Amino acid sequence: MSTASLVSGTSFSMLENFSFRTIVEYLPLFGQGLVTTVWLSALSFAGALAVGIVLAAMSLQRGWLFRVPAKAYIDAVRATPLLAQLYFLYFGLPHLGFVLPELVVGILALSLNSGAYVAEIIRAGILSIPRGQVEAGVASGMTYVQRMRLVILPQAFKVTIPPLLGQAIVLVKDSALLSLISVSELTRAGQLLASDRFMPAEGFITIAAFYLLLYYGLKGLAALSGRWLGLQPARSST
Amino acid sequence: MTASPSKNGTGMIEFRGVNKWFGALNVLRDITLSVEPREVVVVCGPSGSGKSTLIRCINGLETIRDGDLVVDGQRLGDPATNMTRLRTEIGFVFQSFNLYPHRTALENVTLAPIHVRKIPRNEAEQAGRELLAKVGLADKVHAYPAQLSGGQQQRVAIARCLGMRPKIMLFDEPTSALDPEMISEVLDVMVAVAEEGMTMMVVTHEMGFARKVAQRVVFMDAGAIVESGTPEEFFSQPKTDRSRAFLSKILRH
Amino acid sequence: MIWQQLQSLVGSYPLALRGLGVTVVLSLISLVLGTLLGFGLGILRTGGNRLISAAIGAWVDLIRGTPFLVQIFLIFFILPEFGIELDAFTAGIIALTNLAACFICEIVVAGIRSVPTGQVEAALASGLSRWQRMRQVVLPQAMRIVLPPLVGQYVLLIKDSSVVSAIGLTDLTRVGWLVVQRVPNGLLVFFLVGLGYFIVCYPLIMLARRLERRMGAAHGEVQL
Repeated sequence: MSTASLVSGTSFSMLENFSFRTIVEYLPLFGQGLVTTVWLSALSFAGALAVGIVLAAMSLQRGWLFRVPAKAYIDAVRATPLLAQLYFLYFGLPHLGFVLPELVVGILALSLNSGAYVAEIIRAGILSIPRGQVEAGVASGMTYVQRMRLVILPQAFKVTIPPLLGQAIVLVKDSALLSLISVSELTRAGQLLASDRFMPAEGFITIAAFYLLLYYGLKGLAALSGRWLGLQPARSST
Repeated sequence: MTASPSKNGTGMIEFRGVNKWFGALNVLRDITLSVEPREVVVVCGPSGSGKSTLIRCINGLETIRDGDLVVDGQRLGDPATNMTRLRTEIGFVFQSFNLYPHRTALENVTLAPIHVRKIPRNEAEQAGRELLAKVGLADKVHAYPAQLSGGQQQRVAIARCLGMRPKIMLFDEPTSALDPEMISEVLDVMVAVAEEGMTMMVVTHEMGFARKVAQRVVFMDAGAIVESGTPEEFFSQPKTDRSRAFLSKILRH
Repeated sequence: MIWQQLQSLVGSYPLALRGLGVTVVLSLISLVLGTLLGFGLGILRTGGNRLISAAIGAWVDLIRGTPFLVQIFLIFFILPEFGIELDAFTAGIIALTNLAACFICEIVVAGIRSVPTGQVEAALASGLSRWQRMRQVVLPQAMRIVLPPLVGQYVLLIKDSSVVSAIGLTDLTRVGWLVVQRVPNGLLVFFLVGLGYFIVCYPLIMLARRLERRMGAAHGEVQL
């Protein structure tokens, strides 16, 4: 359930005894954890994009019917911790009769959480397009959908890529929380090594290194996309 | 190439064989120049000729690669020279004013006197008010830079320099960023400062100003001093093709 | 049944209040320490010393690149191996302060870099020392850029404090976790937990937005 059980065991090995052998021994477990973290993050990010696009579209409406619920949802997500949201679903869904595997609950939580931030990024991207562009579209007789598809979105797409990659970095790091509902991802692998063999240093330093690998990968991608799109170096708020 | 070096190095500002590069670009070439106390020297030349770089070296906003630059008897780049102390003796007026936008005109003038010179606040403010009155801005003491016109901002900037009671004043194209109708109000203040006996180096194309107060005009091109002489000599009988070409361009207007 | 659950929840009210207290105190201490440290690091990072600057940059990247949960585990389980015994609360404060300092460092660096070089040159030309330039000229102008994301960072900090429940600290999230074992209505329990965070965080989010608008408007008034 939680890792509170780890608290009881104190001072194990000294760092001089840092055991690379055990790390190698556990490497398949770490590998599995890394793979799980990658694909569950990818899946969650896809979900977040879907949620985000819908929320952004809703929040840009003039009428309150869509706008107000979308904004309320975004604010509620932004003002509460992911962990509380995760527990809300984990302990709450069974209460409603949905008994889902932990992994599915985790992906759901990450998608719904990140979706709110993605919505803000997309909204800001669309609003960053100068009013004159909309007016030019109107002047040449385009409909709302045509203006969006032909004028606004292609331009907005460009400015949203770097912050979206920043959000992807946040999502990968956030996915570590799924270990607290026993999803066998990367952090869970570190916890297992820590608790099975009483080797927290080996376990947590190794997974930290793996996360850094993912971080630098995504960060490099963000920088690359920025250059590729001819933007300033990405300053994401990760 | 040589612009009347002083015989034994008693000048307020002494360049001796100064060179500077930006990467591969030789922006200052073998500069030798001496400015006497109370002298007013106007530096002109086409853009990119190195004239701004020249005066920015004097207070260490730029560093030199080789040669000697001695200001008020202190050699720049010498570990014994306290650059911060030396800068308090040199006022610098920027093309873009660079007033502190979060401080009023008076606060702009008193900031350095209070924090660097350690003058008591009320004394500094008294002096600051007098200086602002002197540049014709007695009624703008509490205005923020954003509330002032360009000409007014530049006059505050000059008052800010004078507040430090400098021995030398450097002006880097002080009127280039101004609307035409505001140029004379700034030049009038500069003339007044010059007439009080300040040692000045002024990068400007305002030839009227040069005629009025400059003892010497220095013409630069491609990082080198090409010509130097009194304003009369320079304007009536420019010696080189490059200075003639330059003068014909700026005097046409 | 829901009535019984509510009664049971009311019984947990003192525990919930204590949890909220722990969350607020933990966040507040880390916020103050993290801000001080973050400004210090940011100023050092933009200072002239390349070695210090690179070292801070590397550390910030290390912290930004790893999950906060992993950082807490590292501090809580590994520092004792160096003979530093920590309770969960102290470990939480160290982890949160460090996290906040790293993010605030980046915010401060961006703010300092946003100040035009002419401002520094003007201060330099009038003989202000390095610290005076920072204190009198650069920081006051940088604050316009720094303030909105700084408040946003405080919101993140309060939310991140929930992760400290993973090492057994009885904060608001941990209280929810404890209560839900007795009252098996996860929706209700964690709705209330969420509400607790919302009450603290939402005003800060509003403040950040307001600052952003105000600072954005002030931006246009700058000379030239």
